[in-house]
Amino acid sequence: MKPPAIQTKNVTKRFGGLTAVDAVNLVVPESSISSIIGPNGAGKTTLFNCVSGFYTPEEGEILFFGEPIQGLPTHRICKMGIARTYQNIRLFKEMTAVENILVGQHCSMTNNWADAIFHDRRFRREEENALNTACELLDFIGLSGLGDSLALNLPYGAQRRLEIARALASHPSLLLLDEPTAGMNPQETEEMKALIKNLRDQLKITILLIEHDMRVVMDISDKITVLDYGVKIAEGIPSEIQNNDKVIEAYLGPGTAKMTEKLKQKNNNYA
Amino acid sequence: MKQNKIKQGVITGLTFGLIFIFLILTGFTQVGSDMIGNLLGNFEKAGAENALPVINLILFTGLIGLLMGLSTSKANLSNTWLASLLNSILAGLIAGLLVGAVILVTGSFHSQGVDFRNYLPKLGSEQMNYLLHYTTPLAAGTTYLITSTVASLIGGAIGKAFRQQSWTAHSMTWTKNTVKNIGKKLKLGQSPQRKIITILGLIVAGGLLYLLPLVWGSYWNYTMGTVAIYILLGIGLNIIVGFSGQLVLGYVAFFATGAYTFALLTAPQPHAILMNVWLAVGISVIVSTLTGLLLGLPILNLRGDYLAIVTLGFGEIVRILIRSDLLTFLTNGPKGVTNVVQPSWLGKVFSDVNYTHFLFLLVLIALFIAKRLKDSRTGRSWIAIREDQTVAQATGINTFKSKLLALALGAALAGLAGALFASRNQFTGPEDFTLMVSVNVLCIVIVGGMGSLPGIVVGAMVLKGLPEILRELDDYRLLVFGALLIAMMIIRPQGLWPAKKVSLELQRKDSLGDNIQEVEP
Repeated sequence: MKPPAIQTKNVTKRFGGLTAVDAVNLVVPESSISSIIGPNGAGKTTLFNCVSGFYTPEEGEILFFGEPIQGLPTHRICKMGIARTYQNIRLFKEMTAVENILVGQHCSMTNNWADAIFHDRRFRREEENALNTACELLDFIGLSGLGDSLALNLPYGAQRRLEIARALASHPSLLLLDEPTAGMNPQETEEMKALIKNLRDQLKITILLIEHDMRVVMDISDKITVLDYGVKIAEGIPSEIQNNDKVIEAYLGPGTAKMTEKLKQKNNNYA
Repeated sequence: MKQNKIKQGVITGLTFGLIFIFLILTGFTQVGSDMIGNLLGNFEKAGAENALPVINLILFTGLIGLLMGLSTSKANLSNTWLASLLNSILAGLIAGLLVGAVILVTGSFHSQGVDFRNYLPKLGSEQMNYLLHYTTPLAAGTTYLITSTVASLIGGAIGKAFRQQSWTAHSMTWTKNTVKNIGKKLKLGQSPQRKIITILGLIVAGGLLYLLPLVWGSYWNYTMGTVAIYILLGIGLNIIVGFSGQLVLGYVAFFATGAYTFALLTAPQPHAILMNVWLAVGISVIVSTLTGLLLGLPILNLRGDYLAIVTLGFGEIVRILIRSDLLTFLTNGPKGVTNVVQPSWLGKVFSDVNYTHFLFLLVLIALFIAKRLKDSRTGRSWIAIREDQTVAQATGINTFKSKLLALALGAALAGLAGALFASRNQFTGPEDFTLMVSVNVLCIVIVGGMGSLPGIVVGAMVLKGLPEILRELDDYRLLVFGALLIAMMIIRPQGLWPAKKVSLELQRKDSLGDNIQEVEP
């Protein structure tokens, strides 16, 4: 059997006395859309940073299709096929949209500085292909025609999508999305949902995302993992998570699970 | 409305007036009128009994007035004949008054025996007499005023006539179509006009770069040589600071390494290796590159301020080592190395004209290389690192290797510049490599516009050319730097000539689309 896209085994990350991620076991099956949710400060982004190589976990193992990747520098992890976006958009602001995507293709290109000076045939072909791919990606995320504007001049929603395009440019097999719909209006959110589904269905990319918008999470996730204070408190398909007492208490406070139960019954009675 | 109509004339007049005063102060009026004299075949050195140089000077003034008139007419396409000519006259009057006033004032002081050479080396007694047309200040000032106004009027009329007539529009279309057809025959792709214009521009620029050193004399050759060396340094530092965003303040270290390697390999004292010049240049470049690599390995993981401080120290360490007792046996200590060999070709030592040509050629090659690097995978990875190093690495860029490459290439260019600097001066000493050199080069990069190649050329002209021309004001150079930098940060924080983005998406559409029709006017 093929190993899952991502498997973390007892991953623990501490910052001084604070344990941000505490022995988390997570399995992300290939070609799935999996979500991590949890209240603020639950350690979601820290776990993301461990997977993408920004942090090295103190304990535990992270396997990417069965290969251990913890502690590798981020550019090696990127080359293996993990790409990510960021909670607060981090585009290369003074570069144009097309250039941002071209940088994203860095791994899949091979020309070096000497080729650049002499402009040999291989260089020209490679640059031409890269530009074509970039324009196709622009088209895919619906930004064609805006390719030559600086990233910082793009509207917010477009910047989010451009970040995804830059991540896609490295031909990843796993895409980590950190709050892809944060700050978007309902229409943009719907478009983003469709885009994420497209990524999985058309490009066969496994997706792991952090999201606070529960409608998005419940609509598109195959599997949801809930973190609270760095500990995994629940895991399952959306309907299971919705009715999980621990999850409700993590979000709304201790004792609230019973109250919601009563509230639901009341509503049913009225109905 | 009325005000708007004459505004253009006033602005053009002021601009051209100031340009002309600048030309007078730097002595370029002499060069310009001599060139006109050459063209007309009546070339004579300026002399009291000769009327021809004065006529040349007046012709030169007239030429500038003509250009001024043309440029006023360009700005007022919709204006009536009357308004257009009024603008031209106004511009001519203003520029003429400005220049006339300067001539009047300096001339009056001059006739009272004040020697301007103390302040401006190009305004000696002979030169002043020449500028005064060998007459009284008032007469000369009036001549400038009249010449400027009349020439501007003529220029304005010509410009207006050209823009009014429909035959000019026809001939423009005809030229455009012809150019297009030629372009198609030569298979220059979709936008042949632009390519042909670029090629023509290059030919003209090349011609000027070749011809100017022949006519403008050794003083200008020396000045422009210095500017060229600083352009080379600027291009190198621009790769490190402008492209990859690593604030390296000890750039002079690589310059010094190149200069000393070259000097020690070719000079008779203290080692008497007397190596072939070109081989020594190559070795200087290699040694500088290695220095860059060795310095980069331990420090390139530092970021921002820390990197700046460490490299600042490195620059000073190199200079202090060179002049220390410890290394006197190797570097000749504070005395420096004398009799450094000048370059030669086929047994002939370079004259200053040859040298200037050679430097210009190297600058062009360096600009070409830097341009190509910028628009490649390598260049994009540098700029990505400058924008956000963490994300750049997560996007698959090996940031350490990439930064090291930038540092090595920058150091190589500094080494080349150093070798040329030592050979041109035939001397190199530790005091040539103070912190101020690093600061100067950094200023060139920042004033020109971070990451911009034409910006470096402009920056070097402004920051290295001007002080060299106003040599006597050297003491105030730091003051001027400070004022200029503060003014820049307020008025134009992006630099004099900021980097332009290439429209890649549009370019691709152009190259793909035979179906895209060009709209004919």
